[in-house]
Amino acid sequence: MGCDIVTCSTDTKFTHLAWQRSEKELANVKYTMAADPTGKLSRMFGVYNEDNGLDLRGSFLIDSEGKLMGSEMNFYNLGRNIEEQLRKFKANIYMAKKGGSEVCPSKWKDEGDKTLVNPGAKMVGRVHEALQGS
Amino acid sequence: MAETMTATTPPPVKLGQKVPEFEVETFEPSKGDFGTFRLRDQIANKRWTLLFFYPADFTFV
Repeated sequence: MGCDIVTCSTDTKFTHLAWQRSEKELANVKYTMAADPTGKLSRMFGVYNEDNGLDLRGSFLIDSEGKLMGSEMNFYNLGRNIEEQLRKFKANIYMAKKGGSEVCPSKWKDEGDKTLVNPGAKMVGRVHEALQGS
Repeated sequence: MAETMTATTPPPVKLGQKVPEFEVETFEPSKGDFGTFRLRDQIANKRWTLLFFYPADFTFV
């Protein structure tokens, strides 16, 4: 299962081109740069700021069937941690492979790390024990 | 904010819900060309999508 990264702002595709060609930090980017000058897509995800026409720092993970599986939004002053984005993506892929029988706790990083299997009534009040193994 | 939104703006997509079909114009740095991104193509190709919004080009992301 693969994932494509699509960045999006309310700039036009022409501005994206100019920025990618002038900013050395972007010299090697492979991802798609989407243009949403009308704010239509940004409104769909609730990141459009009606006061200034600029998007908030929102990240959204959509699965291969088009379902929204993750969302995170920061105000303008805080950048996002790409490691955490990848962790959440990997966890989603892992859980999809397991067909819904396992869930990934906060410390899950990669395949082989502790998961919770079939959380149900017997785990209520016993999450600590479940995380310890057994 | 509410008064500047038109009455037809639907509420944002919720977690666990299907994202409505959308398409946007793109710049593809790997091809050096413009293109179009469609959610239905991702579904047809069984690909996940990480949509990453940011305020503006020429700033930090």
